Amino acid sequence: MPAILEVRGLSNFFGNVCTARDLTLDFEEGVLTSLIGPNGAGKSTLVNLVTGHLPVQQGRIRFQGRDVTRLPVHRRVRLGMGRSFQIANVFPGLTVLQNVLIPALALAGRTARPWARVSREASARRDAEEVLERVGLTAEREAAASALSHGDRRLLEVGVALASRPRLLFLDEPTAGMNPVERTRLLASIRTLAQEGRATFVLVEHDMDVVFALSRRVVVLHRGELLCDGPPERVRGDPRVREVYLGDEVAEPAEAGAAP
Amino acid sequence: MSGWPRARAAAWLATAAILCALPFLATRFATYLAMRVMMLGIFALGYNLLLGRTGLLSFGHGAFYAAGAYGLGLVALHVSPHPLLGLAAAVAAAALLALPVGWFSVRSSEVYFAMLTLAFGMMFFALVWNARDLTGGDDGLIGVMRAPVDLGLFRLPIAKDPQLYFLVLLCFAGSVWLVHRVRASPYGLVLAGIRENAVRVEFAGIDVRRYRLGVFVLSAALAGLAGGLEVLLESGARPFMAHWTHSAEPILVSLLGGLHSLTGPLVGSLLFVAMRELIQRVTEEWMLVFGVVLLVIIMGFRGGVVGSLEQLLRGRRARREEA
Repeated sequence: MPAILEVRGLSNFFGNVCTARDLTLDFEEGVLTSLIGPNGAGKSTLVNLVTGHLPVQQGRIRFQGRDVTRLPVHRRVRLGMGRSFQIANVFPGLTVLQNVLIPALALAGRTARPWARVSREASARRDAEEVLERVGLTAEREAAASALSHGDRRLLEVGVALASRPRLLFLDEPTAGMNPVERTRLLASIRTLAQEGRATFVLVEHDMDVVFALSRRVVVLHRGELLCDGPPERVRGDPRVREVYLGDEVAEPAEAGAAP
Repeated sequence: MSGWPRARAAAWLATAAILCALPFLATRFATYLAMRVMMLGIFALGYNLLLGRTGLLSFGHGAFYAAGAYGLGLVALHVSPHPLLGLAAAVAAAALLALPVGWFSVRSSEVYFAMLTLAFGMMFFALVWNARDLTGGDDGLIGVMRAPVDLGLFRLPIAKDPQLYFLVLLCFAGSVWLVHRVRASPYGLVLAGIRENAVRVEFAGIDVRRYRLGVFVLSAALAGLAGGLEVLLESGARPFMAHWTHSAEPILVSLLGGLHSLTGPLVGSLLFVAMRELIQRVTEEWMLVFGVVLLVIIMGFRGGVVGSLEQLLRGRRARREEA
């Protein structure tokens, strides 16, 4: 499988604090990857750099074979990158449907038309409805996004990201603060979408159950550096990872009986 | 408001009927005031696409208003007095000025955007004030005639106020329709998205700057149209049209009427002109009284007059449905 995203020698500093140090890694098409690491490991920084939310100070990024290091956010999105944010980042004053309509219309290249009518954009509306169905928000379509529960807002956030139909989609802690029902629903739709080959997912996650249940590959970051990279079983068994997490969740399932 | 389209359509029709009949029924002074309301309405309507819709606070729209006014004035004095040509020049002058100003300003957001537009506005005022040979300096442009609207087959005179009134009404209706269409368009939806969350719009694959620039130029063009009309009404352009205090007028009007609806700035314009007239009869210090009114609205009725009324009606309807 060809790499959809190639990161080469990526470094980032906030003043003296290094949040990415000479990161080099490839993301392969169709491989659901999780980015994990303790707080401040540089997971969000990596996503921000790759998607263009932060300017790249050092290193190169290639997306689908094309150098995107200096491209602005909207150009990268047009090429097929997408993301959701750690803190729910929707359009609070707009309705749920409008929230997904904006990326759906943008995808179809139909936003730059001040003379057209949103109400007649049938195909974009269909796409938007389909996305809402996927994330289970069809019933809330006319509600203001600000009126949604926290979990629903997170679902909407993922829906807004999905509506751009990205080839590569970064989800930054998508299940944070969700109740179990919402979490199951979201994970199921991520799994389905991944299996359908609609997008290559990269999850930033804290919840190790989610990580090990979904991912085919786990990348562990620590203080901006690449600590470990491989299939979930190997990462779980890696002593360096256990050390970083200090007997945290990672160790639990496999090591429960073996601890000294 | 979407729940009662019929009542809404009726309200619009009634307003249109009143506006059409007004010059035949009302006094000349009332006709004059109605024209001022409509001009301010055009100005505020365009401005509110920027403030209410896109969430950008500009302090420089007086400059575009003046660009329209002087554009029409200069064309009328030096090229041709045809009012339609003059109005086209007014719109073009304002849009042309807005292009570079906007290009620099929309790169920043919030406070910096506001300050940049303020700085450009002050520069333009200084330019108008000092370029005496072209603009007449502190005298302004004087002696702009109201030539008839020559349509080839026939000519429509606008020399008298009730005649000019219909030209103003036409421009006003056109502006309302234009802004209504923009608000209902995908473009308008993206503008609302920018107001709500510009980063998320970028991550939808949209170049936010270009949309900001587009709406900036559009709002400036409407300001220019209003400025051009005022020159026809008052037979001249005044440099204080470009002053930053004039830039504040559409902001006050939008706050007064309500930021988040089409009708807000229109109701605001009506109230603004009416209040100014009424208060000035009692006291010279009209700004003092107006300030208090504005304070009450901002502290107590956040959505402006239209927003608060809507809330009131919605609440009542909800209670009726419950009962």
